[in-house]
Amino acid sequence: MTVAVVLLGYAAVLAVCGPRLLGAPAWMEHAPRLGIVAWQAASVSFLASLVLGGLALSVPTVQVSANLAEVLRACVLALRSQYATPGGAAAGAVGATLALGVFVRCAYSVAATMASAVVARCRHRSTLRLVGRPGPASGVIVLDHPAPAAYCVPGLRRIAGGHVVLTSAAVGALDGPQLRAVLAHERAHLRAHHDLVTAAAAGLAAAFPRLRLFQAARAHILRLIELAADDAAARSEHRLTVAEALLAVASGPRPAGSLGAGGSADADRVRRLIAGRRPLGRASAALSGLAVALILAGPLLIFAGPAMSTLNTACC
Amino acid sequence: MPRFGDLEAAIMDRVWAAGVPVRVRDVVEDLQRERPIAFTTVQTVMENLFRKGWLRRAKEGRIHRYWPAASREEYSAGLVEEALQAAPDRAAVLARLVARMPRGELDALRTALEEAKEREGLS
Repeated sequence: MTVAVVLLGYAAVLAVCGPRLLGAPAWMEHAPRLGIVAWQAASVSFLASLVLGGLALSVPTVQVSANLAEVLRACVLALRSQYATPGGAAAGAVGATLALGVFVRCAYSVAATMASAVVARCRHRSTLRLVGRPGPASGVIVLDHPAPAAYCVPGLRRIAGGHVVLTSAAVGALDGPQLRAVLAHERAHLRAHHDLVTAAAAGLAAAFPRLRLFQAARAHILRLIELAADDAAARSEHRLTVAEALLAVASGPRPAGSLGAGGSADADRVRRLIAGRRPLGRASAALSGLAVALILAGPLLIFAGPAMSTLNTACC
Repeated sequence: MPRFGDLEAAIMDRVWAAGVPVRVRDVVEDLQRERPIAFTTVQTVMENLFRKGWLRRAKEGRIHRYWPAASREEYSAGLVEEALQAAPDRAAVLARLVARMPRGELDALRTALEEAKEREGLS
């Protein structure tokens, strides 16, 4: 019971403080990939605490002994005694429902988000195949369009098949190094499987639309993958060239119906490139990494902690 | 032997380039300038494109004349709009590169960029 309370408390703390703690730190601007992992860790950890907390409510802990039959009998006795009282049975039922409900809802939502993305991607690719022209580099497709734009279509198989799409206006607006910077940016998205990263975050956000932790995780991850891709581009070309390329694309005519929002976040990206990125020092990187590991390991330690420390109890 | 998809793209290319309704024979002759290809293969693929809605056709005597259902630019515009409109994590495609910015912001950023380039001896 104590384990369950601590786990559920941990989940509550993460849900309330997580967005504030992870939304502010400046180190994420310098280490966006670690930032992505931190938000993922917070999300996974929150889920794990809820599911494990539910499990801990529904199954009691028992003494572990070398004799398996002994353990099983203790289990049966413990279960019987918990579920004999109405309060115990109610707690068990609530716990089991919580664990199962949270897990199924999240798994379903993430799977549905990914599946709909795959369907839309297939449709997009089949049109692209007939309409696009081969671009200036392999894996690049050019579309005749008066507004400069660039995006990538992830491949369906794990390794092969991702494409970068440029509009003819983008090809016209960018010089050689700028074009290489844009390609490096888009290929970084493909290489790092940012489509899966964002689909998972969007799936969780859709599963719990009221939960600020998941909403914030989705928004921040969307921003951080762009920073990570900018950094990859800045490793291949000069960072000011990357900034120039972003400005060239941002200043073209607006395609009909495109959303105007998001401009200020992108202006921050350009400012960050102009200022130059100071990579995270080793000490702060290690500290941030440790913090992420702790967030992630928290629920597991709490759940297995009693069993590990005394080595003589375990859940049925 | 070219892949089927490539042939569809090559045929659409010819139909768009023609600008007027074409017969299967016209497309075959056009394609044969680049590679040997059978009339029936092209005919089958064009019928497929008709069934998929890419081509329209009308019968003239005993032969069909085909024309594109929409221009290449219209299809391109549809794709670009889909890519830029959708929420970046729900869409077929991933995150547009950068959003449009207001004029004033662009000018400020350009100035900052030029200054940085001068500082680092790039301009």
